[in-house]
Amino acid sequence: MLALLDAWFVAPFGYGFMRRAAVGGLALSLAAPPLGVFLVLRGMSLIGDAMAHAILPGVALGFLLAGFSLPAMSIGGVLFGLLVALLAGAVSKMGGQREDAAMASFFIIALAAGVMMISLGGSSVDLTHVLFGSILAINSTALLLIAGITSLIVVTLALVFRALVVECLDPLFLRGQSRRNAWVHSVFLALLVLNLTAGFQTLGTLMAVGLMMLPATAARFWSKRLEGLIGIAVVLAMLSSTGGLLLSYHLDIPSGPSIILLAGVGYLFSALFGRYHSLTARLRRKAAPLGAESTSH
Amino acid sequence: MVLEHIEGDVRPGAITALIGPNGAGKSTLIQAIMGELRPVSGKVECSIARERRAWLPQQLALDLSFPMSVEELVMTGTWPSHGAFKGYCEAHYRKGRDIMARLGISHLAHRQLGELSGGQRQRALIGRTLMQEAELLLLDEPFANVDRDTIDILVRILRQMADDGMTILIVLHDMDHLRRLADEVLMLNAGHGQWLAPSALQQPMASANLMSFDTAGGRHVGTA
Repeated sequence: MLALLDAWFVAPFGYGFMRRAAVGGLALSLAAPPLGVFLVLRGMSLIGDAMAHAILPGVALGFLLAGFSLPAMSIGGVLFGLLVALLAGAVSKMGGQREDAAMASFFIIALAAGVMMISLGGSSVDLTHVLFGSILAINSTALLLIAGITSLIVVTLALVFRALVVECLDPLFLRGQSRRNAWVHSVFLALLVLNLTAGFQTLGTLMAVGLMMLPATAARFWSKRLEGLIGIAVVLAMLSSTGGLLLSYHLDIPSGPSIILLAGVGYLFSALFGRYHSLTARLRRKAAPLGAESTSH
Repeated sequence: MVLEHIEGDVRPGAITALIGPNGAGKSTLIQAIMGELRPVSGKVECSIARERRAWLPQQLALDLSFPMSVEELVMTGTWPSHGAFKGYCEAHYRKGRDIMARLGISHLAHRQLGELSGGQRQRALIGRTLMQEAELLLLDEPFANVDRDTIDILVRILRQMADDGMTILIVLHDMDHLRRLADEVLMLNAGHGQWLAPSALQQPMASANLMSFDTAGGRHVGTA
């Protein structure tokens, strides 16, 4: 029994690349879910997806100029992500179009440009790596990069937490307080870009969104409080990134999809059995009508 | 909606009711005072600092599914003094609790916003305004969707706030509310404003005017 546990859960981490990938995954799991929670609460769940596509041309450019160098690809990704966010913001300010519409237009352009650039300069293997990640790519430099970015995100998030909450709840109140409060939204978008850039190395640009969104959407079924949502989302993310890595090791499947699929299983489980708004919660409510649930909280 | 011609000053420390049919421009005027809209000609002046103006819009931009308790909402009213970074101290929490007690929502302090009734929500929002120590309060139909008890409490508290020196501009529809609250009445109709309150019309309004608006192009009325 012990031998089996050892073979399944401990032995894989005897390899350096697994240890680095696990630490990277845990760091990401600390930074990404809180951002996801705020995205969900602001009704911007799909913006994360859009931003993930937006960083692709930058990553591709870094790849073309410097080969498979993570710092170069990351810097390119951050720059491009910020550029697309800025452009989308500018277009929506110009009038008429809402920010999500502008974002939707820019990200699809960015995706096409990114795929084009990679396929011009590299092979389809490279494309798969960039899109879906590779745990083998995590060397010490990459790990430092991930740890640095995620630390920056967590610290910044702690600093701007109140501002984010106030802006989420009632943007008009914040705008009424001062014209200068527009920085809150910009800082949030910048954190989003940074987070996706940190994530693409393990998970790939497309999968990195998953670790941000799925734990956050799943947490909605378990808590009604902000602290609860964030805490639960972080725990879910940590479980799925570590579990996903192990699955990927044992079953010889790509790490990004297996981490995200595990998080997806967590989401489906929550939707079925969670405390609030889940299928079983709804059934329980039918069985014990009128306010039986509100007192439990 | 376009406002064409309004002139006048809102008297500080008074409750001014904005009345008029739908589409008369009541909300537009409020947005202009908040600086959300710029007049094409003429000007809207307000001598009260931006962070001391409180605005409760009619269709709440407030996301009620947002996980936040009543107390947390009231505490966000500390924004002018605390901004994004400064921590709350015990004195502020005490003040928050006093405010909730005044509004009769102490028992709801730890309830989530999504679980509140319309009246309870309106009280919590007024609580945030009290926390904010606003000097100008703009209320757009605050009594819509609100129960009778809440209206009684709010009428009393708004009166008290005005007596303490707050300037209140309130969009009202109900004549009963108007009688109970309004010191002055500005009626908007098809973009034109007309001051109505008989009592106010008898008094000279020369004393320190807080605000003036004039959208009739070029001309200004008494400034702040």
